[in-house]
Amino acid sequence: MTPDLPPTPGSDDPDMQAAELALDLLEGEERASALRRVLADPEFARDVELWRSYFARFHDQWPAVDAPETLEPRVMASIAAPSATIAVLKPTRRSFGWSVAAVTSAIAASLALVLVLRPNPVPVRVPVVVAQAPVARPLLLASLAGTADGSPKDAIAAAFDSGTGLLRIAAAPDTAADRVAELWIIGGDGVPHSLGLLSKAPTALTLPPVDRARLGPGGTLAISVEPLGGSPTALPTGPVVATGVLAQV
Amino acid sequence: MTSTHAPPSANADAARARLAEALLRTGKEDRAAFRDVYALTSAKLFGICLRICGERQAAEDVLHDVYITIWKRAGAWEPGRASPITWLATIARNRAIDWRRAQGTRRAVALDEAPDVADSSPDAFAAMESGQDADRLHTCLALLEERQKASIRTAFFDGVTYAELADRAGVPLGTMKSWVRRGLARLKDCLGRDA
Repeated sequence: MTPDLPPTPGSDDPDMQAAELALDLLEGEERASALRRVLADPEFARDVELWRSYFARFHDQWPAVDAPETLEPRVMASIAAPSATIAVLKPTRRSFGWSVAAVTSAIAASLALVLVLRPNPVPVRVPVVVAQAPVARPLLLASLAGTADGSPKDAIAAAFDSGTGLLRIAAAPDTAADRVAELWIIGGDGVPHSLGLLSKAPTALTLPPVDRARLGPGGTLAISVEPLGGSPTALPTGPVVATGVLAQV
Repeated sequence: MTSTHAPPSANADAARARLAEALLRTGKEDRAAFRDVYALTSAKLFGICLRICGERQAAEDVLHDVYITIWKRAGAWEPGRASPITWLATIARNRAIDWRRAQGTRRAVALDEAPDVADSSPDAFAAMESGQDADRLHTCLALLEERQKASIRTAFFDGVTYAELADRAGVPLGTMKSWVRRGLARLKDCLGRDA
């Protein structure tokens, strides 16, 4: 028997987290906890997809507004350039042996990384996902080694906490004064997506959800050298100097 | 400037097939096909960006990124899983929301340049979506209290969070969450037994 309590906002709300995530209502820790639940609970993940498919019906109703005529040439120009650089990133020649080496050295680097990562914990509020047994918050590691034309002498360690979305990069390759190192992820779609620019000191990037989804075991992190401000296109334009494959620990 | 197109459904089927074909070829790096995708969808996707961003310059920049993303990811579109326009519109909405949330500050004022969303009349792409359950969402929404329905629609079309919904409605955050959650629960009962 449940006692007949007066209705107070929040206390007896139905759990609609899947719909809330599908509708993008959540932010901050609430959103992070919902995303952790997607990773930990396949049934919840299916619910989110189902809600997305329901809300997709709203797409009928967007207003149509003619885009400025200048935009089409701008878009076509942006896709015209850099397909040659992508080929460099695709791990065709290096195949498995290289991946295994990267994974092994990533694991070797993990002890050092744990030391680096520990002193600076992200403040955690109330743990929201209590009911599930062990919540999966896998830590992914990669060791980015220099490519043929690459500059870094030592491998660069990278660690991604899929629970918090925090990606830490231990160092950046040396670049000329008018160049900057840019980090990319090549995931399941085989296309490089920029994750941000690297500074000489260790860099910590809190990734937006769209980028978090791209970082999984087997994904390749790559560093390219770009003009100040980063690649002017959506793809790497400069030489790729280091790559490494993400592995789960 | 808002344009409305309302072709008969035979035209819509043809338009849908043409878009699907153009998107498939875009996935094989066919630039002419990509130009077709742009011509067929840019008004729709610009409407999405402008609605959520609320200002033309930002909407233009976001739309540019949206088409770059489409170019890069078209090869991953699976015809069986999502209709082409749903796939494209989802990319546009997500990108526009990313931009909006990256602004950090909440916009208390109305967005001058944001076009209005039709309340119920479907446009050309609605006909493209014509499946047997195309109207189910709208039928089920009609069962909700007005404030629940309005909040859910605003969340979708303005890309706003609970906090901003509460600000706009002038109610405490907890109250807004309760409204919306109860509305969503009712929607779930109506929409399907398994949601």
